[in-house]
Amino acid sequence: MSRIAALLGKELADLRSNPAVFIPAIITGVISIVMPFAIAIAVPYFSGERLADSSDFKIALEIYRDQPATRSLDPEGAIQAMIFQQFLIMLVLTPVAGAMSVAAYAVVGEKQARTLEPLLATPITTFELLAAKVLGALLPGIALATACFALYVGGVMLFAHPGVYRTLFFPRALLTIFLLGPLASLAALQMAVCVSSRVNDARSAQQIGALIILPISVLLVAEFTNNLQLTSRLVLLISSGLAALNVALMAVGIRLFDRESILTRWK
Amino acid sequence: MAVPPALVASHLTRRFDTRVAVDDVSLELAPGEIFALLGPNGAGKTTTLRMLAGLIKPSAGSVAVHGRIGFLTEAPGLWDRLTVERNLMVHARLHGLDNPARAVDEALDLFDIGARKRDRAAQLSKGLKQRVALARSLLHRPDIVLLDEPTSGLDPESARDVRELILRLRSERRAVLISTHNLDEVERVADRVAVLRARLVALDTPAALRARLFGSRVLVRLASPAAPFADVLKPACTDVRADDRTLSIAVNDVEGAAPGIVRALVQAGAEVVSVVADQAPLEEVYLRLLDEEKP
Repeated sequence: MSRIAALLGKELADLRSNPAVFIPAIITGVISIVMPFAIAIAVPYFSGERLADSSDFKIALEIYRDQPATRSLDPEGAIQAMIFQQFLIMLVLTPVAGAMSVAAYAVVGEKQARTLEPLLATPITTFELLAAKVLGALLPGIALATACFALYVGGVMLFAHPGVYRTLFFPRALLTIFLLGPLASLAALQMAVCVSSRVNDARSAQQIGALIILPISVLLVAEFTNNLQLTSRLVLLISSGLAALNVALMAVGIRLFDRESILTRWK
Repeated sequence: MAVPPALVASHLTRRFDTRVAVDDVSLELAPGEIFALLGPNGAGKTTTLRMLAGLIKPSAGSVAVHGRIGFLTEAPGLWDRLTVERNLMVHARLHGLDNPARAVDEALDLFDIGARKRDRAAQLSKGLKQRVALARSLLHRPDIVLLDEPTSGLDPESARDVRELILRLRSERRAVLISTHNLDEVERVADRVAVLRARLVALDTPAALRARLFGSRVLVRLASPAAPFADVLKPACTDVRADDRTLSIAVNDVEGAAPGIVRALVQAGAEVVSVVADQAPLEEVYLRLLDEEKP
């Protein structure tokens, strides 16, 4: 554990000196926050048309009014709650976007900077090295997502109907942000680190790691089109699958990390 | 009682697919010895060092190590955005040292880099980077130190500093193995030399290699023409050449033969100005060895 902490400390110090690497994540976070406010608050405000009066939201309103979480809200508040909850999953993408470039460079970057060989000459194990690399990318991403969530809740408290913010503290929302999000990020990062240890080019790792965005996007679209309702149970189920995937990815990562090939065949 | 070797490599072989990078290399390294591994590019020096350091496995053969190993890689490999102190601290913690902060402070003092400890590695000159890398490789007080081209690309002053540090390692009874192209460096510091071209071409002390290839000669400079004194040394010395005021005498052992030669010349009335061993440059020895090895 102490070696993981040592290398993790190095990763975080490295990131502190190069904050520009988080610009994509900050952009993703800002978009994730601004979009639902534009739809739920700004458009009705400037158009003078309430969301509850729009036929587009009728079915959604019926579904949401059935839920205990939104039953106490007026129709406008219920639709706002629906929109803010549905866009919550966009925040899950924030740590993925933030950490992907970091993770993609995790191994190939060390190799290119010729810092990998001295590192491998220490007693560090492959598991410790990969764990530190993945955590070094994941933790700042989670911190960023948490900050975005705090802003999101603050914005909802300020601009949405009274009581809407409470729906963001129901289990479904919290599980999405603090369980599904980190597990999805972890899977993406592990994929990126696995690929990073097999390629000479960080872009390849970045592209493959970014594939995790696809299933998240499917969830988002399915929710928007009312084909799927992301309940707490479903979030837990998906999270369990991701947890298993993460264990498998770590095992695969350790097998793929061939120290000899990295040292002797990469130029 | 004989001191046991710090490192023993037996019949090391390493293949990459069909290419044999290192072929049946055996060597021993004693505590307090500086051992130089010479060879052209692609001769297998770095591969040998990596096998000795345990970074890659030999295809055949074995390495027995008695003590901890410190490895200075060919590139300093410092994390550029981190400070010198942080670079060292991370490695001290990776080695699991009991008191990493103290080990780092001691290394900073020992290598005289304390004044630059808060500088980012990227700000350092190449020589200073190498110094920090050397400090890093010694943080855990290794008994065996493997140095891959430690003075490559350094200016003469930085190279001299690194050489002094290497000599200090010998005085601390550490076993040092240097892979290098720098024959001058080998001449100055190495106790033994191995010439590698995938397999070991030669392994001995620099003096023994010279003697084997070029023989040993003593040069005696006289105050007057040398020719009249050439016969004085025969028949004890069979190969005596006179050139102006200098006599060149072939001997088996320079240090053993020189006093007798001087005594004989003085008794014959010669005024001896200087006596030196006539040494072929190590470069000539090295090139001759490689030429002989060519198929």
